[in-house]
Amino acid sequence: MKKALTQTAPKKKIRSGRSWKNDIRMNWRIYLIYLPIFVYLIIFNYLPMFGIVMAFQDFKPARGFLGSKWVGFANFIEFFTKSDFTLILRNTLVISLLGLSVGMVSAILFTLLINEIKFTWFKKPVQTISYMPHFISAVVIAGMIIDFTSSNGIVTNFLVNVIGIERENLLTNPSYFWWINLFSGLWQGLGYSSIIYISALGNVSQELNEAAAIDGANRLKRTWHITLPALRPTIVTMLILSIGQLLNVGSDKILLIYNPTIYSTADVISTHVVRMGLERMQYGYSAAVGLFNSVVGTILLLGSNYISRKLADTSIF
Amino acid sequence: MIEKLTPSRVIFNIINYSFMIILCIVCIAPVWHILMASFSDPRTMMATPGLFSWIVGKPTTEGYRIVLSNPSILTGYRNTIIYVTLATLLGIVLITMAGFALSRDTKLKKPLTLMLVFTMMFSGGLIPSYIVNMNLGLLGNPLALIIPGSINAFYIIIMKNSFDQISPSFEESAKLDGAGPLMILVKILMPLVKSTVAVIVMFLVVQHWNSWFPASIYLTRRRDLWPLQMFMREILVQNDTKMISAAEAAKASSLVNNLVKHCVTVVGTLPILCVYPFAQKYFVKGIVMGGVKG
Repeated sequence: MKKALTQTAPKKKIRSGRSWKNDIRMNWRIYLIYLPIFVYLIIFNYLPMFGIVMAFQDFKPARGFLGSKWVGFANFIEFFTKSDFTLILRNTLVISLLGLSVGMVSAILFTLLINEIKFTWFKKPVQTISYMPHFISAVVIAGMIIDFTSSNGIVTNFLVNVIGIERENLLTNPSYFWWINLFSGLWQGLGYSSIIYISALGNVSQELNEAAAIDGANRLKRTWHITLPALRPTIVTMLILSIGQLLNVGSDKILLIYNPTIYSTADVISTHVVRMGLERMQYGYSAAVGLFNSVVGTILLLGSNYISRKLADTSIF
Repeated sequence: MIEKLTPSRVIFNIINYSFMIILCIVCIAPVWHILMASFSDPRTMMATPGLFSWIVGKPTTEGYRIVLSNPSILTGYRNTIIYVTLATLLGIVLITMAGFALSRDTKLKKPLTLMLVFTMMFSGGLIPSYIVNMNLGLLGNPLALIIPGSINAFYIIIMKNSFDQISPSFEESAKLDGAGPLMILVKILMPLVKSTVAVIVMFLVVQHWNSWFPASIYLTRRRDLWPLQMFMREILVQNDTKMISAAEAAKASSLVNNLVKHCVTVVGTLPILCVYPFAQKYFVKGIVMGGVKG
């Protein structure tokens, strides 16, 4: 990936040894163009990073970052020793690992299957339709989930009649939440997340494919030995990115559909932060939870990037 | 490559094509159901189980009349259009400027890019951002939906890559004529990166149109400033149709509320769903550009 990049980017003249004075004289207008973004990043990205100090404080907005009482690691200890800490961590990991594995495998399968369709007039509309759910807002998705899983909703009726579950509001039973979340996510993301793999199909060598066919390799064999290896860099890249996001289970949909009766399976780190921080105003505590999340996320991202560079020779930076 | 149609190949094709058709039905059915329900007679609707394949009962546009004459919905619609327009404009201007500046050969190019990329890997988190924005006076301020979410490091990188692809020869003559960087950007380079601009504009429009969370934390009590998604959340998720009932005191009943829910969904979703097929080549391109960079 990295190699491809440096190859395509045209080489620019690098005037080495240019002095700062010269640089400023020549480029001050370019720096001026970048200034608004610089200020923006400082205010909206870097100030909050320094705001992390509040994770070590009993933060009171009226006293600010400098006036609030320092409490050391008390906020972290409170989180780690909380009775629902293991529950929240488990939910976060289960929900994101389920979504990641099922989501990726289905997207790749969908890509391989759609690759077998030769008629463009059929293929294009299928792709367009499969992207559609992605463009529906989280609020509408949540509305649909709530409606369809209510005690006489469409999904509930179906499950009652087909599998024979007990009739109830499915969103009040903790044992269903992971599946509701998984399948609604799959419905929404399948087509859209396959875009990246479908575009990578362009890397599949046609000559190799034809040669293999002549040598008698059947379709399944060619898919396994030619198509999938061509998709490998893309798959690895997506895997690294998703692993970095492992703890960042999107709070958007969950915040909208969960309720206290299913916190035991639905509460994840990000929803916990929103509830504790913004509803109960425990700012220091929630910032500590958020910091834990960020740090683990960054470690996972760098770690998976490192491992894949060593093992698969593919990395994103 | 011409393929022999062996029997197993034929069976595979039948299964594959059927699967694709079923997949399309699964994608469309819930949305189609809502569209049909929004025109259906609320009384018959309650008694009809399953997904609707067509309007049930006597077709009616009563729901749309209620929704489209409701002052809250109209306020939400107006606010959403304002937020989407301003946030997208501000975003694309800043992103283009940033991408351009970072693609130039300056001494600070490396550190500035690094500073940008770092924000993609690590963030202060929700609560510190909230406190910073609160101190900036963004609580209860409509700018909270326009400024903080307007730029995205990822889009700047896409933009920068796009500028990097342009051969320096394009701007050489303009440079000789003494044109400054801003002039070169606007007059010469912008037309060359306009498809990237279109990609990013599309992503921004979808993002801002569908966004509800920032409004829920920064504009909690300012109903007059709520975007449409917030009113939709009240109706669809919190199941609170007071704002409809208050305006429609005479007719409000749970039946009408049910109809209204479907109409609100259509009204809030249709614009995006009508536009995305035409913008398809742009978001596909955007995803590919993002994927190449990682």
